[in-house]
Amino acid sequence: MTDDKIRIARLWDVDSPRVTRRTMLGSMTFFALAACGVGEAPSNSGGSTSAAKATNLKNEPKLNFYNWTDYIAKDTLPGFQTATGIQVTYDNFSTNDEMEAKIASGSAGYDLVVPSDNFLRRFLRSGLVQPLDHSLLPNLKNLEKRFVEADYDAGNKYSVPWAWGTTGLAYSKSQIGGDVTGFSAYDLPNAQGRSSILDEARDGMALGLLKLGHDPNTTDQKQIDDAANFLLSLKKKLGQITSDVIEPLTSGQVRLAQAYSGDAFQARAANEDVGYAIPAEGGLSYVDLLVIPKDAPHAENAHRFIDYVLGAETGAALSNAVRYGSPNAAAKPLIDKELLNDPLVYPSEEQLKKLPFTKDLGGDVEAKYADAWTKVKTG
Amino acid sequence: MSRRWLKANALLTPTGLWLGIFLIAPLALVVQFSFATRDTGVARAVLPWTTQAYLTALDPAFLPIFGRTLVYAVATTVACLLLGFPLAWFIARHGGKYRTVLLAAVLIPFWSSYLARIYAWKALLDGEGLVNTMLGWVGLGRDGGFLLTHGVVILGLTYGFLPFMVLPLYVACERFDFRLVEASYDLGHGRASTFFRVVLPGVMTGVLAGSLLVLVPSAGDFVTPKLLGGVDQSTFGSVIDDQFRGGNNWPLGSAMAVLLLVLVVLVLVLRGRRGEDVL
Repeated sequence: MTDDKIRIARLWDVDSPRVTRRTMLGSMTFFALAACGVGEAPSNSGGSTSAAKATNLKNEPKLNFYNWTDYIAKDTLPGFQTATGIQVTYDNFSTNDEMEAKIASGSAGYDLVVPSDNFLRRFLRSGLVQPLDHSLLPNLKNLEKRFVEADYDAGNKYSVPWAWGTTGLAYSKSQIGGDVTGFSAYDLPNAQGRSSILDEARDGMALGLLKLGHDPNTTDQKQIDDAANFLLSLKKKLGQITSDVIEPLTSGQVRLAQAYSGDAFQARAANEDVGYAIPAEGGLSYVDLLVIPKDAPHAENAHRFIDYVLGAETGAALSNAVRYGSPNAAAKPLIDKELLNDPLVYPSEEQLKKLPFTKDLGGDVEAKYADAWTKVKTG
Repeated sequence: MSRRWLKANALLTPTGLWLGIFLIAPLALVVQFSFATRDTGVARAVLPWTTQAYLTALDPAFLPIFGRTLVYAVATTVACLLLGFPLAWFIARHGGKYRTVLLAAVLIPFWSSYLARIYAWKALLDGEGLVNTMLGWVGLGRDGGFLLTHGVVILGLTYGFLPFMVLPLYVACERFDFRLVEASYDLGHGRASTFFRVVLPGVMTGVLAGSLLVLVPSAGDFVTPKLLGGVDQSTFGSVIDDQFRGGNNWPLGSAMAVLLLVLVVLVLVLRGRRGEDVL
């Protein structure tokens, strides 16, 4: 994409000779008012994709880390500070949107951020993150192969996984009145009007695609349309399309919900009646990733932190604390057996084959998904 | 230019600046977005200019949503009118020295966040909620409670916008000369015809003002259908919200917002001379 194309659109870019001075002036005052609300749009033309030597723009032992709320072990930050002498400023966010607003503005001053993979794709399209310097990350070898080869960022050019989970079905064990093994659970009498699917284009569409036996990363317009039509018929049985599933699952208002495993486990912590299953048809894997924003003032320190959490002990401590799957193969022996043996946190090899990552399909195809999803939601 | 003219304009400056920055500027931005191209990166709306968003927004596929929004808005307005008029009449006619207190009571809900109050409704109306439990005792309970229905969305909207109806109606009732009612009885009108031929024309400005104040925001509301409604309760407002929040399509969301705005302006233009007295 050229630099010109990615600029935020402004009315005075219209180059038509028919625009008279008077109308021009009028529209300019109207639109100039808007200009103060538009930040400079990021461009993804600058910078090579090959990793450069990472250095600190500001030479000071500091690191500004922006992470999800309650998503770290107690000892992670103090341990890093002791090991490296780098002071960490730790800020939290609770939604990807909130985090994006800060990062996209480009002046937040964060060195390390943890977007989910779907937002990493968005960031990459706009060139907001810098390539990683692998020479500073000797512990990268500890990563499980699956996360090195992953579609969202093959070869860990830009990102290193923090924790991962799956998209499956959460349900009320006592109320659902049947076995939840696949998407046919939406047909159960007790689920009628009391079930939900996620309000995310790719996740919601994946349910339709998987049910019809298609690849959830398909680029085929026909398959996408078929999935949308299936979801339209499924809508008659649903209660809601929403990503807020923790509270309704805990209270029992919703008996069956397409959910992220992390949310399902949070609901289960509050109410033991909540179960979680990976559908026989398959699901998706999602992952939250450490990335370094393009304008990070302490990029080198950020690399040191990434390498620190890639260590076996620190990786295991992190996983034991947040109760998510760890992408760190070297940490596995040190992870709680109870967690390691939970097939919902660490699905079997067989199941993993049916839990691909959401692939970046490029702007055009992503737009197809978005349009199909709008059709599902409004139809 | 006279001093008076200068003075009058100086008075306008603070409001003018305020509206210029916080109303016109965002609005201008929305209009800009509506003619831009969708971007799947973080920019969301980029060059080149296009009218694609309007073509999509005018797709007949959105008509059912549009119709539903209209039904919700009109039903809410009618419900607010039916509930608000007796209340306004009572306060104006029989409030006596308690008028101010009663009016303040109408406004009390505004002391807490609308979102919090809608969540309270959710708790009241869900399967294990108070309403369903009590109706269950007389055999009228419903599995899963009363959430996710058209009725409950209209209920929520009516609850939220009722004060906007009561206040202008109260002003109209207060101004209304009650002796006219006696005169009407003296001249042989019955109750019904007194109401329709004397009272209603007398408070018509309040009815119109209140109806506009309820109709317009309830047509644009998205929080209520989103929280109380389910899959079949999405409105124009919630579709716009989807386009922005899911990051799906800012140009489409903007175009729909502009169309809604044009519609509201049309309503205001068509409100007739009567409405102009009050709004």
